[in-house]
Amino acid sequence: MENNNGLASRLASERINRRDFIRRSAAATLAVSALPALTTRRAFAAAKEVNFATYGGMINENTRKVFAEPFEKETGIKVNLGVNSSLALAKLQVASGGSAQWDIVNLTGAEYEVAVKENLLAPYDYKIVDPTHIAPEYRKPYGVKYSLFLFVMAWDRRKIPDDKAPRSWAEFWDTKRYPGKRSIYANVSDGDVLEIALLADGVPVDKLYPLDVERALKSLDRLGKRNIIWHTTNQEPIQQLISGEVALATAFNGRIVVADRGGAQIGYTPDYAGVSGNYLTVVRTSEHKHEAFEFLNYVLTNTKADVEYIKLTNYAMPNTQCLQYLPKSLVDTLPTSPTLKDKVFLKNDAWWAANLEKTTVRFKEWQMTP
Amino acid sequence: MAKLGFLCDRSGDDAGPAAKRTAPDASRPPLAGRRVLRSRLWLLLPIGIVYGALAVVPLVLIVRFSLVGGLTQYREVLSSPLLAHIVENTVVISITTTVIAVLLGYLLAAALWRSGPRMRVLLLILVLLPFWTGVLVKNFAWAALLQDNGAINELLRIIGPSHEALPLLHNRLAVIIGMVHYVLPYAVFPIYTVMLSIDDRLERAAKSLGASAFSVAWLVIMPLTLPGVYAAGLLVFIISTGFFITPVILGGPSDMMVANLVDFYAHQLVDFNRAAALAVLIVMVISVLVFAYQRTPKEGQYGAV
Repeated sequence: MENNNGLASRLASERINRRDFIRRSAAATLAVSALPALTTRRAFAAAKEVNFATYGGMINENTRKVFAEPFEKETGIKVNLGVNSSLALAKLQVASGGSAQWDIVNLTGAEYEVAVKENLLAPYDYKIVDPTHIAPEYRKPYGVKYSLFLFVMAWDRRKIPDDKAPRSWAEFWDTKRYPGKRSIYANVSDGDVLEIALLADGVPVDKLYPLDVERALKSLDRLGKRNIIWHTTNQEPIQQLISGEVALATAFNGRIVVADRGGAQIGYTPDYAGVSGNYLTVVRTSEHKHEAFEFLNYVLTNTKADVEYIKLTNYAMPNTQCLQYLPKSLVDTLPTSPTLKDKVFLKNDAWWAANLEKTTVRFKEWQMTP
Repeated sequence: MAKLGFLCDRSGDDAGPAAKRTAPDASRPPLAGRRVLRSRLWLLLPIGIVYGALAVVPLVLIVRFSLVGGLTQYREVLSSPLLAHIVENTVVISITTTVIAVLLGYLLAAALWRSGPRMRVLLLILVLLPFWTGVLVKNFAWAALLQDNGAINELLRIIGPSHEALPLLHNRLAVIIGMVHYVLPYAVFPIYTVMLSIDDRLERAAKSLGASAFSVAWLVIMPLTLPGVYAAGLLVFIISTGFFITPVILGGPSDMMVANLVDFYAHQLVDFNRAAALAVLIVMVISVLVFAYQRTPKEGQYGAV
């Protein structure tokens, strides 16, 4: 950077001959190619920023509105939000050497377990993040599970009225009753495709784990590959339902609630849904750990903001102070609601962390055979 | 590889005129001419550095990643149950795309060659417009046309008795349509260039010796355009093997190609070492093809050695 400025000022102040110019532009080129490394290390540190990779769409919109903007006003620390957070992104922060580009990353339950095993994360600073009102089952040494959501069956109300909609995964599988394609999330560890396939095949919700992967694949074969459209990002099923491309889909409940608030006609049921949650973690090589934990403290303990976030997304937060400020009708639809206790299953992060690769490859192999 | 080769070719081209331009300056001894030449080669240094930083350094990093644990990464990639299927997909899809694109490209090039100036401009615009359009835009446009409630199926529903939508999207057909659309300009231009270099007196000569229009086309013109066909075919095949986003948007899971497998290793299995090993294997195979491409004669009548 200095080289570059030097060249510019000399160009402005004195005449330089051609050979000089060439020699210096070569030096400047070298300097420019080294620029990205310089900016991530120096400029960001100076400006008091924290970079948070999350999942895009309504998650980013609401995170910005409810958490990032008020936090910026209060502390002067700028929060930059990114999309497509994943274990791969976390690993890249550490593997690429130097300091991390993303300080806070969102990880799924299974991803969190793997990230801890591979030493990608910084231990939580519970001196900055006040643990008093964070439910202990969500507090971990390297992360806090901060939003719980449901993986549900959803339908296009314009084609399937609520009273004719499927009430179980077996009905969701019924191609005679509901002809046409279903859009299903292709990510086995992020979503619950194998779990719902087993439920459709008659496995009770409390007997899912350890997963019988082959039985799940047979169940999917029964539904038929030609009756499935695979989606790979979370906003896709919402768009497909709205555009009429499919009448049935799997989706995360928060996305549906937000879409319906925007006028979409998407119905869903929390029955037989999968409950999973995301961790908020800080990357081990982050140079803004202090700022990161300050922001996380805001996200996890500011009750007013948390209540607003729950109202906007229908995702449960670990802040135990929130429930008293929420209407009962909303509490009943949260993943933590007692009314859903025996009707939903918890994604088993430990099983997934232990079987992640084997299962992912086997599923891909199955997907690829025509 | 291709880019570096291109760089070398250009340096050769630039050096020629540079040397010639200095020639009239008779007062200078020949040695000075060569010094000018050498100092002008310095002008290539920035681009050399940029290529070094953007292509060579990452490549070295990838090779280093792939060699963590010796050759185990390669062994694991090569023994993966997914690989055989993926290679088959890549070869079949790429060959199909190449054959269709070269056939269509040949017809388009011939039309360009034989049309009048106004028609030629129109045709060129039709070829170049998709060439300048982003691949994502083209892919999503095809998705909108091909989906179950897309334009084509809606049209069929209106005119036809069929109520069941034709399965046009998320399959191999859609991938090949999207890929042919993308690579068509790459097929047209090598063939068109070769056609432009054909001496039109040959055609008159053949006719004067009694050849029919078909004989002229089949026995005289066609063989002269073959170098263009080979070059177009190889170029299109090389580009086709590297497709990533089109199989994602237009294909189903059974249409995954090698680039998608790299992504699968890097993103879903989060195993950068195996992703790197697979990437290195792809670069090696494609390098052989690029090497062959660099050696295909680019011109028909005069260039074919």
